[in-house]
Amino acid sequence: MSAGVETPPRTGRARLEESERIGARDAVRLFRRALLYVRPFRARFGAKLLLVLFSLLPMLLLPWPVKILVDHVILGLPIDAPPTPYPFFVAPFVHALAGASTTAILLATAGVQALLLLLVGAIGTSLREQDQADAWLSSGQDTATRTENEANAGFSFAGGLIGLVDFRFTLRLTQDLNHHYRSRLFERIQSLPMAAFDDERIGDAVYRVMNDTPSITNASYRLLLTPIAAPIGLLLSAGVLQLQFGAHPPLVLTALAFLPVALLTSIPFAGLARRRGERSRKAGATTTSTVEEGITNVLAVQSLGGGEREHARFARDSWEGFTRFRSVVLVGMLAFVAALVPSVLLVLPAFLYVVDLVIAKQITVGDSTLLFTYLVQIGFFAVELGALWIRLQESAPGLHRVFFLMDLPSERDPEDAFALPPARGIDGAESAARRADAGVRFDAVSFRFADGTRALDDVSLQARRGEVTALVGPAGAGKTTLASLVPRFHDPSTGRVLLDGVDLARVRRDSLRDRIAFVFQETVLFDDTVLENVRLGNPRASEAEVWQALERAGAADFVRDLPDGLATRLGRAGGKLSVGQKQRLAIARALVREADVLIFDEPTSALDPETEQRLVAALRDAGRTRVVLVIAHRLSTIRSADQIVFLESGRIRERGRHEELMALPDGAYRRFVTLQRGDGFAAGAGAPSQP
Amino acid sequence: MTQEENGAARASQAALAALGGGGRADRLGVRVVLQILRRCLPLLRDVRGHLFALVGGFSATALLLLPLVLLSIDLIWTRVLGGESLTPIEASVLGLDPAAAAGGGALSAELRRAVAERVVYAWAVLLAFVVPAVLALFYYQTWILQRINQLLRVRLFDRLQALSLRFHAESRVGDAIYRLHQDSSTVTQLIEVLILTPLFAASRFVFSLGVVLLFDPGLALLLAGVWPPALLLAAYVAQRLRARFRIAREAQSDLTSRIQETLAGIRVLKAYGAEPREQARFERDSRAAFDAAFRARMLFAVFGVATFWLVGALVLISTALATLATRDGAPVFAGRLFAAAGFTAWNLGLYNFFKQRFGEGGGATRSLLRTWARVQDVAIGLDRVFELLDLEPEVQDAPDAVAAPPVTESVAFRHVSFSYAPGRPTLRDVSFEVTPGTITAIVGPTGSGKSTLVALLLRLFDPESGEILLDGVDLRRMRLAELRARVAIALQENLLFGATIRENLRFAAPDASDAEMRRAAAVACADEFIDALPEGYDTLLGERGTKLSTGQRQRLSIARAVLKDTPILVLDEPTASLDAATELRVLQRLAEWGRGRAIFLITHRLSTVRRAHRILVLEEGRLAEQGSHDELVARVGGVYRRLVEHEREPGDEAAARDRRAAGAAP
Repeated sequence: MSAGVETPPRTGRARLEESERIGARDAVRLFRRALLYVRPFRARFGAKLLLVLFSLLPMLLLPWPVKILVDHVILGLPIDAPPTPYPFFVAPFVHALAGASTTAILLATAGVQALLLLLVGAIGTSLREQDQADAWLSSGQDTATRTENEANAGFSFAGGLIGLVDFRFTLRLTQDLNHHYRSRLFERIQSLPMAAFDDERIGDAVYRVMNDTPSITNASYRLLLTPIAAPIGLLLSAGVLQLQFGAHPPLVLTALAFLPVALLTSIPFAGLARRRGERSRKAGATTTSTVEEGITNVLAVQSLGGGEREHARFARDSWEGFTRFRSVVLVGMLAFVAALVPSVLLVLPAFLYVVDLVIAKQITVGDSTLLFTYLVQIGFFAVELGALWIRLQESAPGLHRVFFLMDLPSERDPEDAFALPPARGIDGAESAARRADAGVRFDAVSFRFADGTRALDDVSLQARRGEVTALVGPAGAGKTTLASLVPRFHDPSTGRVLLDGVDLARVRRDSLRDRIAFVFQETVLFDDTVLENVRLGNPRASEAEVWQALERAGAADFVRDLPDGLATRLGRAGGKLSVGQKQRLAIARALVREADVLIFDEPTSALDPETEQRLVAALRDAGRTRVVLVIAHRLSTIRSADQIVFLESGRIRERGRHEELMALPDGAYRRFVTLQRGDGFAAGAGAPSQP
Repeated sequence: MTQEENGAARASQAALAALGGGGRADRLGVRVVLQILRRCLPLLRDVRGHLFALVGGFSATALLLLPLVLLSIDLIWTRVLGGESLTPIEASVLGLDPAAAAGGGALSAELRRAVAERVVYAWAVLLAFVVPAVLALFYYQTWILQRINQLLRVRLFDRLQALSLRFHAESRVGDAIYRLHQDSSTVTQLIEVLILTPLFAASRFVFSLGVVLLFDPGLALLLAGVWPPALLLAAYVAQRLRARFRIAREAQSDLTSRIQETLAGIRVLKAYGAEPREQARFERDSRAAFDAAFRARMLFAVFGVATFWLVGALVLISTALATLATRDGAPVFAGRLFAAAGFTAWNLGLYNFFKQRFGEGGGATRSLLRTWARVQDVAIGLDRVFELLDLEPEVQDAPDAVAAPPVTESVAFRHVSFSYAPGRPTLRDVSFEVTPGTITAIVGPTGSGKSTLVALLLRLFDPESGEILLDGVDLRRMRLAELRARVAIALQENLLFGATIRENLRFAAPDASDAEMRRAAAVACADEFIDALPEGYDTLLGERGTKLSTGQRQRLSIARAVLKDTPILVLDEPTASLDAATELRVLQRLAEWGRGRAIFLITHRLSTVRRAHRILVLEEGRLAEQGSHDELVARVGGVYRRLVEHEREPGDEAAARDRRAAGAAP
């Protein structure tokens, strides 16, 4: 029996890491899943598509005002007998102007252009003369800052009023989508079982919620909008080309050829893009974790003089993140170059074709630029479509990271779980059997951690209502593990835990935890007021009730001394209070809860003897109508318990009241207590005088 | 000196209050923005070698390409499409027969085609070299920008580490994360928004304005006339944009903090079933962040559209006027100057050219305005960074700091007083002296100032009055790093990192050997459980060391402090989570190891306290009693005696009898 050698509590999962390799098939699955998440928003996506159509249609109108001005104002050609007939949507306008003076035509056309400017933000066909409503703010040279823009993406093909409306709609849609996904992910993270949080890197989780969730929106836009918007744009551009210059199949086909070029040349890079993207994100998450940990532990860093170490660690992690991002950029460049070669081969003959048209006087010089512009525009839409696959790969790693967390098993209650029936009081009318049931009962409970370590071995124990039960024993005996079975932070491997005769495995966790107040060994407080921190235990508690709990926990005095009393903000990690004060607040938090099972894990470790005695008295008092479980090392805390359970290596060694156990000759408890008193204290050099 | 320090503390607290609550950049306009941008220039200085190389690279490429581009434009536009004959130079460059190509009025169709082909193929070949070169330059640019960002980040991180615990108590971790990542990344936009875009856009505008002037001064006035309303618009919007950008960043930072805080306290939240409440809070913060971003970006987009309207309206007007002029064949302003170039009166060719130029000028204006809007966001981001960088750490090296003494004589507190917040003193007039080779226990009720005493010894804060001396030298006169190298501490909150046990142990003593590490672990009685772990010292701890039990973490904490091998060792409640048997062993080993060192023990436990040579009893910040256990216990009504009596078992007659029988004090 090795006293003092402990096996650490193991968790169910080695590390919350997922594999880096996302194959092409996995990627498709990810995208499909992303689409499923979008279903609730499909009406708005439909509306967005309509808006896209609306914003692209004006493209048809743009070339005509210029043509009218040149042909009919400058050149003075009669407007009702144009060299080439006008399309059906322009003809009415032209007819209305029949016989008007050039100035009138000018004014009318200018008016139309002004209208177009107002509505669509375009006055001509060149890029300079077209506006697109968007708000791409500056982003940095790393993945995290890029996703800021993604998370708040608003864009439109048009400018002007229509563009603004489109932009606003899109921005809201993007934000609502992202808000929805972030909330779901956050919810899922919160519902993970306790054990999962042992390994969780907080910074990593922050990164996933903030920077990986926009991938879902991104992927959805690419999957739903581009395949429809791009062909529309393509058709419209080709349509205008046709209308202006008549059919030029070689040109149109050449422009369309960009699609397969973009597609085929980008596919080989898709896998690379995914992997590099994943690594970039992971590096970013690591940096976030490093920062988070370093700042949270700043007390340790400063007092241990670890500043240089932290500096080195951070600098290394941060630069790693940048390097990984650069490799993503590099992959993009490689893909670009790969696509460039065939593209150039396509553009050259197209250009020469246009030159031939000019030489053959089939079109004018001015027209040639216009023609080329349309070529570029068709090509642009073709590339949008063709590069879809590789652009999607940007989203794949983010999706993977999000869905990984979503898929982790959460604390889920079985289908037929029911709420814990309300507590039964103890009254004389109860039958002996029912009274025997009252309280927490461990029935042949064993517990084994995921890695096989046995923490509890066939423990049967009753903590009766109206009594204080103390769990005592050397470190690693399994006391905390046993206690954590009651609120079901873990479930026993074999055996049952019952409360008032009800098997807890069948009960809904939230109803169970409502009835339990658990005080952890290490106090956690929040950056909120004292009142709110204590009220975490019972949100409905009144201020009077809170003060009462503070009194009983021995915390009322120092709270009164605080500058704002109950309203004092505790600051991060309750940094303004001493550990003992924090501990008492945590106890007050437990006491204010309307719980009938109180579990205290080392509640007095940081308290001085005087405060400790007061607390013990308070526990006794609370214990009169409740089940009270106390885990402690200190004799002064446990000796007045109604039942002391001595655990060692996961088994119950002895059980009984203090006097009974002390009377046992050579009892384990007795030995334990004797050590505590300091009687068994060996004299060492430098030790002070002995009693 | 204390007054000044107090003032400094208050000033930094005021700065803290201002942090995030509407900072400096909102008040004044352009000047402050430029001030902020100017502060970044030192950062650029650090990479100036690379910047020059980059600019050199781009310039070289541009210079190389420019003549080629000009030549190509002339060839394509005028010769191929326009049909004019080549100049002799051009002909020879293209490798065509000068006689056939040059001279004479026009080019034949075949020649035009030939010229086109040659130009096009030449460019294809050229691109094969130019494109990779340009891409390489862009990659280089990315690297440079990242370097600048890294410099800023690291500076920010160091500052955060150096700031006092008071700052950290008031601030949220998520805010630090946000400033470090998102806000500092705006620095990468500097070169673009501060130098490149304004430079190029301005030159484009000036060039276009010049050309338009040649056409018609009136039209040039029109183009220049875009600026007054544009500036008005920009001024109107700029401050609003800044305000909205700031709010958006703060909201995002709050959301980050919310996530971090929830996850940091998730155990307690789950235990109390508070998940739904936290979820509601999260959704509220998330919504607030999105709404703030919405308002900022909406204004940005509206500004963009509005500027386009402004510019577009002027373009329309100019086009209309130009159309009239072309219709009437009006003379061009600079016609006399350019008669030779056929540049006399408005014609279709000039008309198109004019439209291009005017549009270019308008485009340049738009570009500048848009950049100005983005600059507001960059300024706010950087301002948030500088807010943090400007905070002075409370405790710094004096300019004439000396080396820390070896601590062989004494550790003394003389009339030390301190309070975390004004008016609530934590320590009052504490004086004592300790010699190395002793164990001093510090006891007292919670909140009596024990941990504060230690914090002052480490110079995490400076006392308000009084002094702390090591070998007679005031702490404030020593170099901080050296002082901290003289003291090792095992804190009450066992703060461990998510790294291996080895790395954790070596945190304070990176150069320690493996043997030394094991010895330290043995002193803390941690070696047993570490060896029992499958991966031993290479076991990876969860974040905050959560894979171990509290007792194990406590022992690691002690081992870490021991490994630092310092003349002063402070243990704050080192055995709170240990059972009596383990505690005994740890204390025995510590006593042996601690020979010749000054050991401070803060504890409640009687069993621990009795080991000490001297006991300091604190009560409400005052040193109530000091002495050995026997001395203090004998004082009837004394604080110490009262504490001891509470720890004893009042009803345990047998034990008390035993002890009295053995002649011991009760």
